[in-house]
Amino acid sequence: MTDVELIERLKADLGDRVEIANPARRRLFLKIAPRDLVAVTTRLRDAFGVVFLSTISGVDNGVSFEIIYHFSTPEHDYNLRTEIPKDDPRIDSITPVIPGAILYEREIQEMFGIVVDGIPDGRRLNLPDDWPDGQYPLRKDWKHVRPVEVIPGGKS
Amino acid sequence: MSFQIPIGPQHPALKEPISLRMTVEGEVITGADIRLGYNHRGIEKLAEDKSFLQNIYLVERICGICSHSHATCFVQGVERLMELDPPKRGMYIRYLVSELERVHSHLLWLGVAGHEAGFDSFFMYTWRDREIVMDLLEMISGNRVHYAINTIGGVRRDLDEGQKARILEGVATLKKRSEYYFHIGANEPSFVARIAGVGMLTKQQVIDLCAVGPTARASGWDRDVRKEDPYAVYDELDFEVATADSCDVLGRVVVRVKELLESYKMIEQMVRRLPDGGIVVKAPRKAKPGETVSRYEAPRGENIHYIKANGSDRPERLKVRAPTLGNYPATVAMLKNGFIADIPLIFAAIDPCICCAERAVTLVSARSGEESIVRMSDLRRLALARSSNAPVKGNAVWPF
Repeated sequence: MTDVELIERLKADLGDRVEIANPARRRLFLKIAPRDLVAVTTRLRDAFGVVFLSTISGVDNGVSFEIIYHFSTPEHDYNLRTEIPKDDPRIDSITPVIPGAILYEREIQEMFGIVVDGIPDGRRLNLPDDWPDGQYPLRKDWKHVRPVEVIPGGKS
Repeated sequence: MSFQIPIGPQHPALKEPISLRMTVEGEVITGADIRLGYNHRGIEKLAEDKSFLQNIYLVERICGICSHSHATCFVQGVERLMELDPPKRGMYIRYLVSELERVHSHLLWLGVAGHEAGFDSFFMYTWRDREIVMDLLEMISGNRVHYAINTIGGVRRDLDEGQKARILEGVATLKKRSEYYFHIGANEPSFVARIAGVGMLTKQQVIDLCAVGPTARASGWDRDVRKEDPYAVYDELDFEVATADSCDVLGRVVVRVKELLESYKMIEQMVRRLPDGGIVVKAPRKAKPGETVSRYEAPRGENIHYIKANGSDRPERLKVRAPTLGNYPATVAMLKNGFIADIPLIFAAIDPCICCAERAVTLVSARSGEESIVRMSDLRRLALARSSNAPVKGNAVWPF
């Protein structure tokens, strides 16, 4: 199936919920509203065989967060893109639909401070347990401040 | 009665600082949990402060074994953003190094698998032969680990006729050796008995948990980025995707040896068909605003980079997903209902990367199951107290 045929099928199936861009061969970018995320993912899985999630990318755009779900099938790459406001960053979990998404959802949760509703396991993934709350390293306004090095028993 | 036993972050059986927490009943594992972050370096944040050219050398240092994978994945994305068309000869050399790297990584893994299964002569044989490919990589790039052969728009070093002859010679030797390993890996009775049926992962679990690479292919899920999304030269090469249906560690050994044989085929094709011409085109410093998704089949599975450019000489966002992270949910599934003795073998079978240290010991009280973290200095104090209370023995006196 060529890209054009697939886009026609996707449009017929998902209606005006999606906005499709096709910047390169086999690369599709589907823009959806955050409330449709779980419904569209379920539909793609059941009707188009999109079961493999590579990763979830978060991007801080200043006023909003862009979240991109990178799926692929042997024939096409589907990149589901959605945007949520920065002052109320909430998104539904897709782990019930794609169980392999759990680690990536935990990652966007700790790195961007996005609240993933309905995540089965919301613990931290990479950051240490004593990391202060409310510090989200991949936000653009977060800057790393190197703590003053103290040598035990050394010069004071 | 069930116990929790912690394995790692620092443990002789693991070659990576990672904490596996097992719930066991007798010898059987009933639950597993993985705690990450002991080697988190913040590379994605750091990449936003560096130029595209500097970032090649930064992402190359994400991993010490598949360093070329990350650099190539990044560079091919940036070339797409800058709308460059690198010359064919440069591309052949770049992906020749990719395949040589896959050979060295798989030979290393075969040795580790042999070692974890208690078959140390296999480990020594494969690591001896790995030196051949390491020497070839050093000859081509000047380096044994971080080859630094990629640059935006091509590669940094050319190949001459003498080097081509030596690559073919080395690959011919390796091919003969790998066929022998294939024979041993699939026929040596005690080795097969140790690895067959260990770490079962069904095809349905692979699909649900989004496993990648040889781990997924050993369960009959035949996805390979080189075949389905052929980048640069792979649509001109003749190769097959190696799979196995046994769903266990034996299948993962078979898949990796088959991939070795496919890689030798591809290396020979690339050396023989190496086109004439330049190896690099001049690249601009900045990239136009845009985004790209770059996929690459690393030795451990699919590597994916999402790069967003904002018009400056730095990326707005670089997202990296290394294949080992994608295989962790599958590892938890493999460990469940296995035996304690199989933990190192199962964990090594996904081929995790190798790294550094931590300084805390978790003690589990055998009576209550309670855990406590003890500092090294406290342990030393306890040891000194214990030895000062010990009965004093006189020195032995020679009777004559």
